Amino acid sequence: MGYVFDLGSVLNGKYLDWFLIGLATTLALTMAAWCLAMAMGIILTLVRMIPFPPLGWFVALYVEYHRNVPLLVQIFVWYFGVPSLLPRPARQWINAHHGEFLLAAIALGLAAAAYVAEDIRSGIRSIPKAQYESARSIGFGYLGAMGYVVLPQALRIAVPPLINQTLLLFKNTSLAMAIGVGELTYRTREVESYTFKTFEAFAVATAIYLAISFGIMALGSWSGHRLKLETR
Amino acid sequence: MKLFSVLGLTAVLASGLSGTAQADQLADIKARGKLICGTLGTAEPFSFQHPQTRQIVGYDVDICQKVADALGVALELKGIAVEARIPELLQGRVDILAANLGYTPERAQQIDFSHSYFVSQQKLLTTKDSGITTLEGLAGKKVTAIKGSSSEQGVRRLIPTAETVTFQDTSSAFLALAQDKVDAFCGSELILVKLAKQSKVPMLVIEKSLFVEPWGLGLRKGEAAFKDQVNGVLGKLASSGELDTIFGKWLGEGTAFNIKRDYKVEEIKS
Repeated sequence: MGYVFDLGSVLNGKYLDWFLIGLATTLALTMAAWCLAMAMGIILTLVRMIPFPPLGWFVALYVEYHRNVPLLVQIFVWYFGVPSLLPRPARQWINAHHGEFLLAAIALGLAAAAYVAEDIRSGIRSIPKAQYESARSIGFGYLGAMGYVVLPQALRIAVPPLINQTLLLFKNTSLAMAIGVGELTYRTREVESYTFKTFEAFAVATAIYLAISFGIMALGSWSGHRLKLETR
Repeated sequence: MKLFSVLGLTAVLASGLSGTAQADQLADIKARGKLICGTLGTAEPFSFQHPQTRQIVGYDVDICQKVADALGVALELKGIAVEARIPELLQGRVDILAANLGYTPERAQQIDFSHSYFVSQQKLLTTKDSGITTLEGLAGKKVTAIKGSSSEQGVRRLIPTAETVTFQDTSSAFLALAQDKVDAFCGSELILVKLAKQSKVPMLVIEKSLFVEPWGLGLRKGEAAFKDQVNGVLGKLASSGELDTIFGKWLGEGTAFNIKRDYKVEEIKS
């Protein structure tokens, strides 16, 4: 009884639909979490730059929590833990409006924000302090020096690591399967448990994940060339 | 395309390996001197860790032990996850499955089932607050089940309007129900009765069964000698009364489940 590798058996009818729904959910979850991660990452960076030590400690604590606690645990905390602290009507509203998607996006986004904040901070730190001081000495204010001199260079430097974070975020969305979000990995497991075509189901999922990851990497390398500053 | 050829090659290799093992499994097991039985290890009272001895014990384990005894070989237990049951068997990592394996026509296309050694009532657990007391009340609601289980497929088949949300394990599915994230939890009556008893949130098991599910031991296809031997052991256990003893020990009077054996050991018909 040889094993017949038959991709067609999982790429038709409802199974194909499941893959497509899963892919759409994975992409939507990636987008939602990415927007949150960028917004929160920039906010964290700005807060850290305020010269008031307790704020810096807060950001450091935030970053350490999100980098050191396993992401799956963070997802469980958001899904099972946080809603139980909310009043009952809020809980019911979340449960009735696909709370698992919302809470997974928050968990993934906030965790990625910690890395984004670190990447932007490294970008800023890579610009010699002399440039900031020179800008100040020729009459720029704090905002002017940051806005015209430091940040345009710092963000360019931060782009490649940020693309990298996007790639990680995209792949991490598969963890949302554990709380019942119907993303690509969840749907793949479903196709597998219905058809028992383990190789085929995961071959399809692997091809999809690879194609999108390559897309993100290509974007990264294109933007890397595009944004490179001519230096002498 | 290269990816597919690599995967295809893996598949061919895997089937080649299991192909040699399938020459005569019964002879292989006897030559090896041990029967490798795939069991869940997380499903009281069928297969679970004894709190004191830390050994995996239970109804499934005892049945496997009897099969091993009849073959005159030692028993080796291998813990497996619910969704890995059939792949583990097909890839030859275990000889036999005693793992809450309910009969479904889809599964019967992949593996052979022994005669039924247990029959499970698949029921639904809801919270008392939800006000749902009948199966009809579940139309359009969210129903959870363990990922890859026959309960999940049963819900899709029998309550097509319900939305299924699956979790990796019983505890996550139960927590989701307790927190009102889903409206009902479909599973074996035994598990649900125990959960309802332990729950702090008041819960009830809907009286009517969603479906009845005979469980068989899982075997690879095309192993007639091994299958006959296993069915012979099960038949002997039933006629000698040993099955009643084993059943009583794990599920009968004096246990948390307190049920009577009301099924026969017989061929499972779809």
